[in-house]
Amino acid sequence: MFTFLGLGPLTWITFLPILGMIIILLIPSGEDDLAKAKSQNLYRWITVGVTFIQLVISIFLVLNFNLKFAGVNDPNSMQFVERANWIYLSGLPLLGNLKIQYFIGIDGISAPMVLLTTIVSFLATFASWNIKKSAKGYFSMYLLLVTGMMGVFVALDFFLFYVFWELMLLPMYFLIGIWGGANKEYAAIKFFLYTLFGSVFMLLVMIALYFAVGSFNMFDMMDFAKYSHSSILYGMGSNWRLIAFAALFVGFAIKVPSVPFHTWLPDAHVEAPTPISVILAGVLLKMGTYGMLRIAWPMFPDAVMYFQNWIAVIGLVSIVYGALCALGQFKFGKRDFKKLIAYSSVSHMGYVVLGMASMTTEGMVGAIFQMFNHGTITAMLFMIVGVIYDRAHTRGLDDFGGLANKMPVYTGIMTIAFFGAIGLPGLSGFVSEAMVFLGTFKTYPIYAMIAGSGIILGASYMLWALQKVFFGKLPERWSGPWDPTHKIYKTDDVNLVEKVALVPLVIIIIYLGINPNAMIGLMSNSVNHLIEFVKLSGQVAHL
Amino acid sequence: MNNIPLEYYIALSGILFTIGTLGVILRRNAIIVFMSLEIMLNSVNLAFISFARYLGDTSGEIFVFFVMAVAAAESAIGLAIILALFRKKQTIYVDEVNVLKH
Amino acid sequence: MTITQSYLNNLMASVGYFAPEIAIVVTFIVAILFDLMFKKSKNIAAYISIIGLIITGFILSGNIGISKSLFDGLIVVDPYSTFFKFLFLITTILIMVMSLSYKELYDNNRKVGEYYSMLVGITFGMFLLASAVNLITIYLSIEILSLSSYVLAGYTKEIRRASEASLKYVIYGSLSSGIMVYGMSLLYGATMTLDVAKINVAILSGHVELFPIIIGGLMILVGFGYKMSAVPFHYWTPDVYEGAPITITSYLSVASKAAGFAVFIRFFKDLYLLPATSDINIWNTISNFHWQTIVAVLSVLTMTVGNFVALWQENVKRLLAYSSIAHAGYILMAVVVMTNVGITSILLYFVFYMIMNLGAFFVAQLFANKIGSDDLKDYIGLGYRSPVLAVLMTVFLISLTGLPPTAGFIGKFYIFTAVLDKGFVWLAVIGVLNSVVSLFYYAKIFRNMFLRSVADDTKNNFKFSAPAFPLSIAYVLAFATILFGLYFSPILNWAENSVTMFK
Repeated sequence: MFTFLGLGPLTWITFLPILGMIIILLIPSGEDDLAKAKSQNLYRWITVGVTFIQLVISIFLVLNFNLKFAGVNDPNSMQFVERANWIYLSGLPLLGNLKIQYFIGIDGISAPMVLLTTIVSFLATFASWNIKKSAKGYFSMYLLLVTGMMGVFVALDFFLFYVFWELMLLPMYFLIGIWGGANKEYAAIKFFLYTLFGSVFMLLVMIALYFAVGSFNMFDMMDFAKYSHSSILYGMGSNWRLIAFAALFVGFAIKVPSVPFHTWLPDAHVEAPTPISVILAGVLLKMGTYGMLRIAWPMFPDAVMYFQNWIAVIGLVSIVYGALCALGQFKFGKRDFKKLIAYSSVSHMGYVVLGMASMTTEGMVGAIFQMFNHGTITAMLFMIVGVIYDRAHTRGLDDFGGLANKMPVYTGIMTIAFFGAIGLPGLSGFVSEAMVFLGTFKTYPIYAMIAGSGIILGASYMLWALQKVFFGKLPERWSGPWDPTHKIYKTDDVNLVEKVALVPLVIIIIYLGINPNAMIGLMSNSVNHLIEFVKLSGQVAHL
Repeated sequence: MNNIPLEYYIALSGILFTIGTLGVILRRNAIIVFMSLEIMLNSVNLAFISFARYLGDTSGEIFVFFVMAVAAAESAIGLAIILALFRKKQTIYVDEVNVLKH
Repeated sequence: MTITQSYLNNLMASVGYFAPEIAIVVTFIVAILFDLMFKKSKNIAAYISIIGLIITGFILSGNIGISKSLFDGLIVVDPYSTFFKFLFLITTILIMVMSLSYKELYDNNRKVGEYYSMLVGITFGMFLLASAVNLITIYLSIEILSLSSYVLAGYTKEIRRASEASLKYVIYGSLSSGIMVYGMSLLYGATMTLDVAKINVAILSGHVELFPIIIGGLMILVGFGYKMSAVPFHYWTPDVYEGAPITITSYLSVASKAAGFAVFIRFFKDLYLLPATSDINIWNTISNFHWQTIVAVLSVLTMTVGNFVALWQENVKRLLAYSSIAHAGYILMAVVVMTNVGITSILLYFVFYMIMNLGAFFVAQLFANKIGSDDLKDYIGLGYRSPVLAVLMTVFLISLTGLPPTAGFIGKFYIFTAVLDKGFVWLAVIGVLNSVVSLFYYAKIFRNMFLRSVADDTKNNFKFSAPAFPLSIAYVLAFATILFGLYFSPILNWAENSVTMFK
């Protein structure tokens, strides 16, 4: 393994942002306007630098990733593992041993997520280019958030996982709450309370699992031979196990978010500033589904098999309900562009849950692939909204029209993103959704058919929005030079910074649409192993 | 003394204690509240002394000395505080002391 | 000859272990005398008290690991009490240091000598309380603690809310201690002894009336519950906390509460909960009288009432007062299980709670020095006017909420561990739900500081920070809050070793 200063790549990729944050905090923000602008620039470039190095490391990780190793419940086939005793007390008079390890590593499930995190957080930095208000605070919170997200995807110790999971709550609260829109306070605290509500139950389950196996090591928790007989979680298929799984599932489902825990998402998205919406949709939502794959599924296979049908139904309801809500924006809502995309996220994440519930290779691979694709596509959609919001200072779909002639490049990019979201063949979204359908069809043919309606609904609202914004007549006020007092705004095409943020995503979407194996190969081994493991241990329980 | 059964003392002490407690809770005049507190503590003293006498154990009687000393200290401090408050507000009725609300 | 001789021998043997308390008394006297002699230097009593308490700390470190009964069983020295004594010492020293920079206290050219000597007096009371194993010492030390607290709560006596707080405190306090001492008399009447261990023996012997023991225990619980400010004995808390000088508020919320818990745990563990395996008939009768249920109900009530009432507080001091009630509820959860793991988690929690709660109150005090208010609405925009203090405050609040990576999380984590260890799942669920609720009102403080801002042209919009010395204290507390969130092994080890004498 390659190390730098004695620390492996995963440690660097996780804690580099903290380093950046400390540097930013040490740079004074300046007294006069010139000094302020100077240090703002510095903060920006430090953030770009840090996230770029992260991106380079993650590409390096993926290139050196050994596709043969499955990981999941086998600590020996995890890659880039780093392990150190963090809090390691043995021979305590009362508790016996307390083992909390600094234990990180990746397998085929987390590798795509690590890559996604670095891509999205690097590109979202460019979407943050216009942040002027307390730039120091913004970028330090931003970097702290990145550490939290990355930590969740690499942690292999439940305690460590939980610390990272909670670590990103506070920066997110401030990022929405300080730099957000009109109703930011409400959205920020709603996000905070919802996620905390979910995670405290995770805490209890974590403690119960600790009592069962005597350590916080995730692999121990997946090894049912290690469960102590006195633990309430002993015995496959017992009621406590079902309850514990349900508690975990709710914690993760809030994050996904699955209907009926989704109500924080539209508020958070609408109020958050563009880059934070991008991160929220691009990475944070995946933490929920990732948590299910990494923790809920392999630790409670019996409960997964028991609840399989219900999980699928939750996924299905999310798909249809999210799409209906998005469509309803035209009829009932304020026709808010961001809200539309927020609801489409609920719908798209529903595919992930459905695919995971199907317990087939296709469905599961499709689900993880969909996580990645949704991350890139929705990140792009939010950036697109941000571009137009920066110019027009409105997100109402009715305010636009006929922009196709005015902003041709923008129109082109947006069309690709929208078609990606609809699932047009040739773009990445198609592959993952198709795989989810295939997988679901094997297990729940009827659900697959109903989920198909989600695609149709999705196509209708996406095309509707596209038509609203780009075609038709250009309203008066978009024609003249920028003049906020008379509500006349300039409609320049995308500038360089925005292109830097958007074009890489276009390339990824098209490339993965043509060559999906680049990503599928990364995860297929792990996914197969996971399914096999869950099915096997789950069935043992049902005998 | 020995002709009167223990129960009588304890009953008297209980009655005194109840009177004292009710006085603290019901009365509004701070001075009377403190008098009620003294009645409570005296009921405790009575109980201790009767138990000590009845059981033939001196430690209860020792306790009484401490209770008496503490009661004196308590009312000294209480009266000082009432005085300080009276200078500000010209009242000794506890329900008129209401800057801080629940 | 023999009785006097053996008594003297015992006395001589005990005095050595009693040295920390003696040092405190000496400090107390010297502080008062020097304050009288050197009228010109205002803070002489403060400096003497701080130095005296530090010396006490060194003397106390000689008692580490020692388990001994002193003065014919009036008090004991054991790791458990030593742990709490260190906690009291550190808290008192910190409070004294904080008081040095407290503007309200030094207003009107007030004499502060008694203020610091009273703090020393409280420390003495708490030291005794942590060691007390006899009803007389328990009562006396509670009274020493209370009497000094009454005075300190009203120390800034020309401020009306302070005198009012003091009056309420003294009435409620005397009432509850009166009830407690009546309970003690019942206990004494039933068992013929004032020694807690002998009371236990008497109960185990099976020749005692049960009724007075149970009623007496409940009445004593009132006295302890008052010190712990557990619902429903919490009435005084918000008023006193809001009215008292903020340093005293933070002191009461940490040290006095810890002292209450220290004696509560020892008393009930020794008296009613030992040993669980005993098959003596009478014992089962007492065990069937569900102490655990009572404490569990108290705990749930305490945290729920504390948290929910805190939701609509508009004054930061009052809000933190209710939050401290809620924290007493969390700690009571661990009392319910009464296992050694539970007691360990309580000790651990108190260390962390001391750091974060003192920190929060201290920053509130530094704010009050500058903006002259504790109202939540005056906190608007403080994040931009005084970023450093506001960030420190946020760290403490996050820790009080119990989010990683702060000490508060570790504390809660341990309490839940102890509770789940004994299978009280419902209690743990209520506990975690309560901490979600608590987030809402803690967030109100940092929402006002950061999410809202005042218009630039307001005359109150000056920027400020704190003087270097108080600021560095706040930094140290914040650093400790985060450090113990990431690495807590030494404290855990220490706490674990401090409860081993409980069987």
